[in-house]
Amino acid sequence: MAERICRALRDGVLEGEHAPALTIKDSIQSPFGFLVFNHVLSQLSSFIVAQKSQSQGIVLVALSRGPLYYEELFKSKGNDVSSSNKWIRVLDCCTDPLGWRSKLMESGRIANLTLGTSTTASLYKNAKDLDKLLLAITELGKELVGDGKGRFAVAIDSVSEMLRHTSISSVAGLLSNLRSHDQVSCLFWLLHSDIHETKATAALEYISSMQASAEPRTRPVNGQRGNYEKLPFLEQNLRGGKIHVRFKRRNGRVRLMSEEFCIEQSGIKFTPISSEAEMMARSLVPKVQFNLQLSEKERNDREKVVLPFEHQGNGKTIQIYDGRKSLNEDKPEMQYTSAEKVQTVKDSGRGEIIYFRDSDDEMPDSDEDPDDDLDI
Amino acid sequence: MVMEDPEAPHHMLLIRNFMSQGLVHKQPLLYASPAKDPRGFLGTLPSPMFSKDEKSRDRDAEQEKGLRIAWQYKKYFGEQNSEFQRDGKSEYCNDFDLRKPLERHFYSGQQIDCISLQDSADLTTFQDCCSSFLSQTSRNDRNITCAGRIAIQSLGAPQCDFSDKECDMLSFIRSLKSTIRSSNAVAVITFPPSLVSPAFSKRLQHLADTLVSVKAIPDEDKELAKLLTGYQDMVGLLSVHKVARINTQVPTILEATTFSMKLQKRRSLILECLNQAPVDGSTGSSYASSGSCSGSSKTGSLDF
Repeated sequence: MAERICRALRDGVLEGEHAPALTIKDSIQSPFGFLVFNHVLSQLSSFIVAQKSQSQGIVLVALSRGPLYYEELFKSKGNDVSSSNKWIRVLDCCTDPLGWRSKLMESGRIANLTLGTSTTASLYKNAKDLDKLLLAITELGKELVGDGKGRFAVAIDSVSEMLRHTSISSVAGLLSNLRSHDQVSCLFWLLHSDIHETKATAALEYISSMQASAEPRTRPVNGQRGNYEKLPFLEQNLRGGKIHVRFKRRNGRVRLMSEEFCIEQSGIKFTPISSEAEMMARSLVPKVQFNLQLSEKERNDREKVVLPFEHQGNGKTIQIYDGRKSLNEDKPEMQYTSAEKVQTVKDSGRGEIIYFRDSDDEMPDSDEDPDDDLDI
Repeated sequence: MVMEDPEAPHHMLLIRNFMSQGLVHKQPLLYASPAKDPRGFLGTLPSPMFSKDEKSRDRDAEQEKGLRIAWQYKKYFGEQNSEFQRDGKSEYCNDFDLRKPLERHFYSGQQIDCISLQDSADLTTFQDCCSSFLSQTSRNDRNITCAGRIAIQSLGAPQCDFSDKECDMLSFIRSLKSTIRSSNAVAVITFPPSLVSPAFSKRLQHLADTLVSVKAIPDEDKELAKLLTGYQDMVGLLSVHKVARINTQVPTILEATTFSMKLQKRRSLILECLNQAPVDGSTGSSYASSGSCSGSSKTGSLDF
């Protein structure tokens, strides 16, 4: 399922539509959004290097971690860093997002620091102005793929950092403009959902076409207030968790999937959910006021009921009259005898049976109701 | 007003049908959306399905002469029947083929205004645009054949700067409603109720003459597949909450308020009734259809 997300980003956008956008959400109970982000980033970059994806490069907007961190990340995943300027550009909004450092350097207050930046990183100092940020991203993208029909992917390190500097409407505007840009193939971003208002999180989910949220494996039961009691849960939740994904499909349906993940030395590893699938609350399931199920006792009782036409009321066995077999077979008990009828002789098959049917004598539409003969 | 579902784009289907119908009837159109280039949306409008319908109607006329009287009566029952006459002259409601874009000749010579709501700090300029648009279709002149259509998509979407100024949006809607009342125009406005405050959402719902909501359905849901027949073809659900009651005191009582949205042969949008299960007193209505008497017997189309 995590592969499904990566495949969706790899396949990119169809002509004339908005680019697929992924929100990676986490919270303090399961603070592994970064690892999921790193996983998605490294998967996408390996697709790009192998030229299997629609996008030919990535523009990474680094707001919470600097470019050096990502260099190390790519090295550890085995990606070729030396050729990285062909497929990645990092917009460094982490070192000096508001331009304070350069102002201090100009006024001579601090020494001129040469940070060991890689060749692929460009410094951006205006985190409050998202129009300029959009321009910077698109320019970097064009550097990577040229002006033609090439497309690039955009990864935003942390939208939570962006929301520190600007309002939700400008961030939403930036993301929707990126989605509708001609050259953007896909985009994904990280969000820490518990530090924002629900409105902000809802707005970002509205804009994205896929949401992956990292949640703890188990939650402490109510009543376990003390930290001491919560320790086993905390310990378990620090080693892994569950990831729930919502895909908004093109036909308007929503696909929900879940997986488990665990944290290992090399990073994050996804496995299908081992325990029972969770029951998701469905508001569409009807609530009927009739009990349509039978209990065991009710079922047994039902089987014991003898239907009216199956018995004669005098303990004799059930025989159902089949009109075709009137000559040689026993006449059933149901056609009871009246004084006018000829008594039939129960014979096992020998001898003659003379039989006069009463009903032949009667004219049709006579006053007698033939049903009067029935004895139920 | 259409209440959107944040997880599904069904409101766009309704807006597309609305706008295409206006262009087919040669009515002036105003379209506003939070996108940077709203004109691009015009390229996604569907084309009407004309000729096939006429052929099938002629065949029906041949085969069902005996049922002619029944057909005439059927016309009067049910508000969802399109008021099309037997000779096929005037049609108020077309079916649209979503796979075929609207032909160029429908656009030429038409007044189509497209406005982007993203960069405007408030709604005053947009309000002026609407007023000038509506002044063309005012009721003062005796000519009532020309009606105007206004389509506003995703009012209150987070990209717009005014999305947190709820009072401004409310006063805009109120003034729009009053101007529309005195002109020959209709407006369809969609908004995302999950992204605005509950009070604002309620107020907008009360302001609406006709209120409809669309809902997404989960994909590959086995329980729903058992409950609803035709689940495979369904793309979503549409609920009618309110129907316009202008100049009348008689309420419109609909036979069904929940419809399933299906794409017939992936081309045209059809709405089918769902049968409702017995109402659970505590939570209100719920949807289901029992296996034997499921929907699919009745198709209808809302007049746009």
